[in-house]
Amino acid sequence: MTAQDWREQVEELLERAGRLRHGEAKVMALEEAVRLADTHGDLERAFEVRDELIDAATFGGFPDKALVAFAWCRAQAKKDPERFESDMLLWKQKWVVGRLDDFPHISRKQIQEALDDIEQTYARADAGKRAILKLRYQTARDMGEEAEAQRYWDQWIAAPRDHLTDCRACDLDDEIDHHIDLGEYAKALEKARPILEGRSSCAEIPHLTYGSVLYPLLKLERLEEARDCHLHGYPMISRNRDFLATVGEHIEFLALTDNVARGLTLFEKHLGWALDHASWRDRFTFHAAASFLLSRVMAEDRDTVSLRLPKAFPLYQAQGTYAARELHGWVETQAREIAARFDTRNGTARFQKLLERTRELSRDVYPFVIDAAPGPK
Amino acid sequence: MARHVDHRFQINLRGVIDLLSHHLYSSPGVYVRELLQNATDAIRARQLLEPGHTGTVRVELIEKQDGGPPTLLFSDDGVGLTEEEIHRFLATIGESSKREALAERRNDFIGQFGIGLLSCFMVCDELLVVTRSVKGDGRTMEWRGRHDGTYSVRPSEHPLEHPGTQVFLVARQDTAELFTAERVRQLALHYGGLLPFPILLTVAGSTARINTEGAPWRRKYESSSERRAALLAYGREVFGSDFIDCIPLKSSSGDVEGVAFVLPFSPHYNAKQKHRVYLKNMLLSESAENLLPDWAFFVKCVVNANDLRPTASRESFYENDTLAKARESLGQALRRYLTELAKDDPRALQRLIALHGLSVKALALDDDDFYRLVIGWLPFETSLGMMTLVDYRKQSPTVRYVSSLDDFRQVARVAAAQGLCVVNAAYTYDTDLIEKLPRVFPDAQVEPFSAGELPQSFEELTLDEREAVFPLIKVAELALQPFRCDVAVKKFLPKEVPTLYSSDAEGSFRRDAERAREESDDLYGSMMDSMLGGAPGSDRPLLTFNFLNPVVRKLAGVTDRALMKVSVEMLYVQALLLGHRPLSAKEMALLNQGLLGLIAAQLDGGEDSGRGGMH
Repeated sequence: MTAQDWREQVEELLERAGRLRHGEAKVMALEEAVRLADTHGDLERAFEVRDELIDAATFGGFPDKALVAFAWCRAQAKKDPERFESDMLLWKQKWVVGRLDDFPHISRKQIQEALDDIEQTYARADAGKRAILKLRYQTARDMGEEAEAQRYWDQWIAAPRDHLTDCRACDLDDEIDHHIDLGEYAKALEKARPILEGRSSCAEIPHLTYGSVLYPLLKLERLEEARDCHLHGYPMISRNRDFLATVGEHIEFLALTDNVARGLTLFEKHLGWALDHASWRDRFTFHAAASFLLSRVMAEDRDTVSLRLPKAFPLYQAQGTYAARELHGWVETQAREIAARFDTRNGTARFQKLLERTRELSRDVYPFVIDAAPGPK
Repeated sequence: MARHVDHRFQINLRGVIDLLSHHLYSSPGVYVRELLQNATDAIRARQLLEPGHTGTVRVELIEKQDGGPPTLLFSDDGVGLTEEEIHRFLATIGESSKREALAERRNDFIGQFGIGLLSCFMVCDELLVVTRSVKGDGRTMEWRGRHDGTYSVRPSEHPLEHPGTQVFLVARQDTAELFTAERVRQLALHYGGLLPFPILLTVAGSTARINTEGAPWRRKYESSSERRAALLAYGREVFGSDFIDCIPLKSSSGDVEGVAFVLPFSPHYNAKQKHRVYLKNMLLSESAENLLPDWAFFVKCVVNANDLRPTASRESFYENDTLAKARESLGQALRRYLTELAKDDPRALQRLIALHGLSVKALALDDDDFYRLVIGWLPFETSLGMMTLVDYRKQSPTVRYVSSLDDFRQVARVAAAQGLCVVNAAYTYDTDLIEKLPRVFPDAQVEPFSAGELPQSFEELTLDEREAVFPLIKVAELALQPFRCDVAVKKFLPKEVPTLYSSDAEGSFRRDAERAREESDDLYGSMMDSMLGGAPGSDRPLLTFNFLNPVVRKLAGVTDRALMKVSVEMLYVQALLLGHRPLSAKEMALLNQGLLGLIAAQLDGGEDSGRGGMH
């Protein structure tokens, strides 16, 4: 192969990736381009292509690939800062470090050190503390360190914005999560208004928000609004595995409103993502929601359900008939095992508590029929 | 002296005008649209009272003698306004300071009239409205409003002979370019081109009709080919493209009618096509996106809707139930077109697939009947060239496919030489389409294939051959142990290929992580280790030696174990490079030492044999 050949191939792959929506195909095209550039030892090209791969992997549901690509770029920028632009990497470091706790095989110590490292990096870039405080708050929250989370929350909310802080829509969405954690549903929904009314948005907002407000709306018996959020929100996320956890929220909502058949359609469509998703936290959310959904199936005294599940599913049946009890047992075991891994790593009981919350959801069931057509936005 | 009182708007008019021009309207030219809209509404209201009334809109450009900015006179023979209605539209203007209120007022005739007039203040400082209602006592009223918020209402000193409304706009110095004859003609045609009544433009005493008669899809044609030609010509005029076909569109929900044009090029995957939409024959938007289902990105449309709700800015449709149903119907019309092509004109369908395969695939995924119809025409890339799944199944009962480019590249050449057909399903929708096959055709079988499985299809060695290569296997296993690579020897085609390196997608990712680890500092290096440890246990990669390859046969007979080891290492590195697999630092060292070693051995051997030849 001539030198011209592989450069053209890289171009073609980049062009193809540029035309694709976020997802596996796009990530694979960019990985292929990275390998070509690596094979031919072109560091600059390899850096540029990885830069795009980090984005595609982050927003396409492959946080492991984002981490690996980022580690390589960071190493190059450290070795030769003159040659490799590290400004864009600053942003990406935030995405990557923010997802570290999704991997139970990354230790607490590694996470803490990565947080200290990004703090120093940001200080050198003359950025304020706001972005770091949010990362620390979110990590503490995800890892179940409640007192520490509260402490960082207070500091984050008070810190001034600067050039490396998240956009307002993202910040707002994360604030909403905090109020939901505390059970402050009315407050969460009040804060969500600018997002739900379309006045504040970005690449992942309102996609995420529509999912997180479903439970608060249900608890406040605002079912019509909840239905609209489901009908508007689900199509936004249904084709991107980055939103696996949000799919879980929609499944939980459908089970809570007794729309079991609709819930199973989502389960059937997205189980494949959960089987090999790199984010174990997102897998947990999905499997926990699925276990609640399947418990509703059993509560209706149905022994079997017909589902088109992927071949990679360990209980796969070619004819598509599954015992509800077995399915439920399988997803529940997944959720339990993942919870145990996280709680062991974190040294807290957060995931145990999340499992308990799921087990008690049957008390919140509120039947509400959902029609196909979405209401006005 | 007539009753004459100067009034003042109860609001900050400047603020409302700012709101309109910055948030609601995309350009000041929309004042023509708003005036046309008012005239259209007035004519339609009069038609309800007097069926058979045709209606005419007259636009006149009155140049000033002194060269100052011209005046535009916009008149209609519609229903006109009574004094009470004038006060009502003024009240609307008063309430219009909120965007939400504006949107609501749009839906009522009087409210729309007031808001439409307000838009004129984007281009002029003073407005005069002279109007006589069909309904009232026959008096002619006039309203004079200024941008500073003052206005007066009084009976006109120049009564109108017939009911209708005249609006006089005096251009501002800075907006004069919107008041040239050509610009006014363009704007009126742009917004009102489909209106079913005449728009007449008078400039310097001569009058001409601006618009032709209504929408081209509503006209009568001699034949269907004439119709097609006329519509394609219209598409060219509107979008500047030579489209390859046109498809009639109709939906009772939303009362939508129009035509879709098939793009002559493959659109970008994500590009939402921008459609031109009219509401009650008035141009609403040239960039409406939400009109068609997601999969239908192979067409651009022009449609008129009589019963869809516009958004506050009147530049797209409001997302509601009616729109959802209309979208469904329009999608059905496009589906019908594709279905008929598949049944009646497969060649045309194939041409369309070549350009718009993604649209066709997206629809096939959503729709089982359509899938059944087109799957026989959709081409897939395979190790044996392009073919459809139907052709594939004629050769082999089970469709084997790989879902990544990486896998396909690994298997394509060798699989082809073995006569094994494997589909490259790495392209968008292809894996989903293949996996759908057994759901639609219950007798079909599909099976994911991985590069790791390929060696299983290779021919095994005979017992004697096994004995012969045993030393090679032992040496190779030991040599490749540090690289977590297993070894096998089999017979496969093409025989020019000495070895085949195969690993699954997980294995490729592991190699990526290992390279990142080599580059990283302790912190990120340790994280790479954790990722490698936590990743699902993948099968180890496999290096399969090809016993049909002469070099491999010769290598198996070499007695010098050191030479055998170096050769194995070099074949390993070569297999990696042939598979576009970047080398790790360790592998790079292998390559360097190995090359030097082989050169040295060759030089030694060369000198020996050279000397031997001398004797």
